Amino acid sequence: MKDERLENMRQDYEHIRIPDNLRQRVDAGIQQAKEENKEEKKRMKRKSKVILFVKTAGGAVVAAMLAITIMANSGASIANAMMKIPVIGAIAEVVTFREYKDTTNNMEADVKVPEISVTNEDGTVNEETTEQINKSIQEYTDEIIAQYKADVEASGGEVNQLVELDYQVITDAERLFSIRFDKLTIMASGAESVKIYHIDKQTGQMIGLSGLFKDGVDFINPISDNIKEQMRQQMAEDEGKMYFLDTDMPESDFQSITEDTTFYVNDSGKLVIVFDEYEVAPGSMGSVEFEIPTEVIQDLVQEGFVS
Amino acid sequence: MNAEAIQKKVEEQVLDSYEAMYRLAYTYVKNEDDALDIVQESVYKAIKYAGRIRQEQHIRTWLWRIVMNTAVDFIRKNHREIAEEQMEDVGKEDVYQDFDTIEALEILDEREKTVVVLRFFEDQKLDDIARILNENTSTVKTVLYRSLKKLKIRLTEGEMLYEG
Repeated sequence: MKDERLENMRQDYEHIRIPDNLRQRVDAGIQQAKEENKEEKKRMKRKSKVILFVKTAGGAVVAAMLAITIMANSGASIANAMMKIPVIGAIAEVVTFREYKDTTNNMEADVKVPEISVTNEDGTVNEETTEQINKSIQEYTDEIIAQYKADVEASGGEVNQLVELDYQVITDAERLFSIRFDKLTIMASGAESVKIYHIDKQTGQMIGLSGLFKDGVDFINPISDNIKEQMRQQMAEDEGKMYFLDTDMPESDFQSITEDTTFYVNDSGKLVIVFDEYEVAPGSMGSVEFEIPTEVIQDLVQEGFVS
Repeated sequence: MNAEAIQKKVEEQVLDSYEAMYRLAYTYVKNEDDALDIVQESVYKAIKYAGRIRQEQHIRTWLWRIVMNTAVDFIRKNHREIAEEQMEDVGKEDVYQDFDTIEALEILDEREKTVVVLRFFEDQKLDDIARILNENTSTVKTVLYRSLKKLKIRLTEGEMLYEG
């Protein structure tokens, strides 16, 4: 038998009087949070970038047009690069793509799977990297399609769900080729996630974030510190901004980037670090990006990637 | 699980357990007004930051944790008043030896109080309490032993660790 005093204390605890207005105060708390979340969402929507949203009407026609546009674009920038730099490394391009489309009752999927070809300087195909990048892309897209199929299976297509995956060659510069995938999942609310594959054209190899930097240097801390600084500054300047940093739950705070953190190099040659929704901020912030000032990394980064 | 769905789950859990949240808050501050403030603030935080929860089964421990953190913050902010009150009203631990009410918990610090309340009054498992406190289970066990000793309550190992 339990200690009698403990039992009595428990009774006393259970008899703590519940004030009549407790429910009211609970509702007030819920209301306040919901309104703020709604405001934040609105603000983020205005600020957030346009999500790539290619609605395909008649499959093949649109597909062909899209492929041609991409080829022409990458052709132009390659030609441009060749004029400026006499020696050029590998060439990477999107040669074709497949599309997975499905509609089951209220569920819809549209997943585009591009195929990349990497060519060596001498015009031969770099089979190793070509196979590697296409395999990575396929694993990624297969997983998305499998998840969608599982969701259809589980719900019989009765729930509203839309999954779209689109890609874009976002960088085809002197040294770096990057292809970006934007995944948009719309269920009750939307979720965005981003995946980007890179090829170092100088070596013809696929690279992650660490591939931009010189061997053995610490780029993780300088970049992480800079991101934290930017988070703090943004939160100080704008009440609507919220990151998982300096919160009362430190273990879920943003600690640092990793060697494989998603990144790209933007039009002005700056390194941009990308976080998925929920990774470093509440869902209402969507996926977030931080441009890293080049002076933070200029001594660490290899030549030709950023400017 | 997406943001809206998880927020809805959190809301359901809040509406299910707000009386328990209130009792825990009351145990810390010992007056209705402050306990109500703590509950409202906790509910607000829970809904606002619901997006941080990734697993549904963690919602309840997460709520406990928010109440605890909010109460402890509250006490720190109002440290002076409560400390004075305690000096006058509470006195030494001897006074409470015969008390069978939750007043007896006053000889415990906040962490000890939390562990005792959650384990014995709210029937939470040690593992869950550990998660709430962000400690490992053996530390929670130690806190529990120490608290019972302070309260001069004797339990068998079985009574202490298992529900029943």
